[in-house]
Amino acid sequence: MAEKIVEELKPFFEPKAVAIIGATNKKGKVGNVIFENFKRNKENGVFKGNLYPVNPKLDEIEDYRVYHSVKELPDDTDLAVIAIPAPFVPQTMRDIAEKGIKAVIIITGGFGELGEEGKKLEREIYEIAKAHGIRVIGPNCVGVYVPDTGVDTVFLPDEKMDRPKSGAIAFVSQSGAFAAAMLDWAAMEGIGIGKMVSYGNKIDVDDADLMEYFVHDDEINVVTFYIEGVKDGRKFIESARKITRVKPVVALKSGRTEYGARAASSHTGSLAGQDVIYDAVFKQTGIIRAEDFEHMFDLAKAFASLKHKLPRGDRIGIITDGGGAGVMASDAVAKFGLKMAEPSEETVKFLREKFPPHAVIGNPTDVVGDTDAERYRLALEAFTKDPNVDAILVIVLFQVPLLEDEKAIEILADYQRRSDKPIVAVAMGGRKTDRYAKMLDEKGVPVYPTPERGVRALAGLVRYAQYLKKE
Amino acid sequence: MKEEALKVVESVLDEGRTAMVEYEAKQVLKAYGLPVPNEKLAKTLDEALQYAEEIGYPVAMKLMSPQILHKSDARVVMLNIKTPEELRQKWKEIHENARRYRPDAEILGVLIAPMLRPGREVIIGVTEDPQFGHAIMFGLGGIFVEVLKDVTFRIIPITERDARKMITEIKGYPILAGARGEEPADIDAIVEMLLKVSELVDDLDAYIKEMDLNPVFAYEKGKGAVVVDARIILKKVPENRKPEVSAEYRERCA
Repeated sequence: MAEKIVEELKPFFEPKAVAIIGATNKKGKVGNVIFENFKRNKENGVFKGNLYPVNPKLDEIEDYRVYHSVKELPDDTDLAVIAIPAPFVPQTMRDIAEKGIKAVIIITGGFGELGEEGKKLEREIYEIAKAHGIRVIGPNCVGVYVPDTGVDTVFLPDEKMDRPKSGAIAFVSQSGAFAAAMLDWAAMEGIGIGKMVSYGNKIDVDDADLMEYFVHDDEINVVTFYIEGVKDGRKFIESARKITRVKPVVALKSGRTEYGARAASSHTGSLAGQDVIYDAVFKQTGIIRAEDFEHMFDLAKAFASLKHKLPRGDRIGIITDGGGAGVMASDAVAKFGLKMAEPSEETVKFLREKFPPHAVIGNPTDVVGDTDAERYRLALEAFTKDPNVDAILVIVLFQVPLLEDEKAIEILADYQRRSDKPIVAVAMGGRKTDRYAKMLDEKGVPVYPTPERGVRALAGLVRYAQYLKKE
Repeated sequence: MKEEALKVVESVLDEGRTAMVEYEAKQVLKAYGLPVPNEKLAKTLDEALQYAEEIGYPVAMKLMSPQILHKSDARVVMLNIKTPEELRQKWKEIHENARRYRPDAEILGVLIAPMLRPGREVIIGVTEDPQFGHAIMFGLGGIFVEVLKDVTFRIIPITERDARKMITEIKGYPILAGARGEEPADIDAIVEMLLKVSELVDDLDAYIKEMDLNPVFAYEKGKGAVVVDARIILKKVPENRKPEVSAEYRERCA
């Protein structure tokens, strides 16, 4: 039997039929953008469910029949998206309850974040939902984005915000603006997001519910959270402990400083706890705390491709074609509390036989500026077999003249597939390098623009592996 | 364990107070097996003399009053008292100081305590977070906690692994591990204390708001640790409790 939480939240991610309450043909309106998102995805064959716009004043929007009320909706409707002004939401919720729809996303703002009057409305909605077993995401949110099923309630139009491809990362954000910006950025970076949820004022579905759901979601390898405040701390801890045993969770908690904390509590009407307490919670539940959004997605990217082959220890082997970058990486190894691997005698002997005398054998192993792809292959061959090496950082400065770029990429991808040791790449450079970096990423080798960020990502893998071992 | 501690908690609440004096706090800690010095609360000078004899000179005296929680500010701590004569004199002095500091101070008695051998000072604290509940804090005492804020937190209840990690993750850990050729401190004893505080607060979470064990002296490995001073703040007195001033104590100590 499927878990209760999976059954309850599934309609948010794979609805059979979605009702857009407040759908309109007025361009740029929230109800229009969301309708257009679903319509576009339906035409592309991604969204396979039915699409029902609801608006009492319209009969038709772009060839779609418009329903005048929730009561008229066909019985297969299992998800309602609400984009109408706040004062009308409670009555709509009552209609939804009567209709028997059990999943609702309330996009509308103007609730708890605006003070007492809004809080009263919120309370009313909450009570209707509780009484009828309706799960609610929101209000005051951008809702859900699932590229694989075509669910997209993000009311920022396609021409203003790119949508990322699908991937093994789940991204949960309290803030809608941050969520939208991150989706746009992830699209540019080529980072795959399997599911995005932005819950805004979270009167019902919260971080803990989503963690419980993602435990059972095989499409997702790593869950990232942008958190401003947690409401039910004990429930959060319990769910966090459950999920971190199965997959890594990376959290970015804002309000680290006193100043930031004040800003957070006036943002979504939620209380931001003390920062030291969050530190404690994250440590005790195995959640990895990100310093900033870059760190969060650096880790997410590493986990998305390497969750199934975490390092056995903390000894890092570095392969580079530039001495300076190798030194930077070595510094970062120390900074993030990892160890430099000591290559075995076999590794040294093997490389000495194969390498030209001016290449530097050791750790880092420097294949030097006149390298070809083959030297990378030899170094990877040696390091992946070396019992003293737990994880490998490969720095490729694609600018060097003799390096066959695509061949080098193939070699890295090949060893990533064959070896049980995680390989992380660093590609420093500009526009041309960026193209190679994307190719590496797509082939399952997470790549970072600086040695420091590459090592920091490896440190995340090591820490999570250590956490799992202790549990 | 819980019953004994609750008795102390209830009696404080019955008096309409939420701040426990050191003696009461230590009774609660003692009920959970935390190491507290062999101290006694003297309500009269005769009792004080008798207890000092039992404990053995030199002794320390600390005046207990719900209105005086910062004892050193009020100068109601007297250390290193070597003879009965000195004790008589300080008994007078300590009461005068208390009255000067807070004329309305209700005096519960004077704690007669042995002079303790100094150890490495650590602090164990408890606070309550509105979202996550009670959290336990650990750090080194003195400037480490006040200036450098070198402390770490965990949500209660904690495991032994949490306790060990707390101790090793503070920046000042080398001081406990034995920097500069010192013998290492009794880490196991501190772990034990953290676990007991966690258990205590987990049991009494409906009553306890905040707690400070400050300082705790940690001795060399194998020699244990001891709570030197302690404070417990209880949650608001429930509506159904009426404060009854303990007139008895006040009369006897006047």
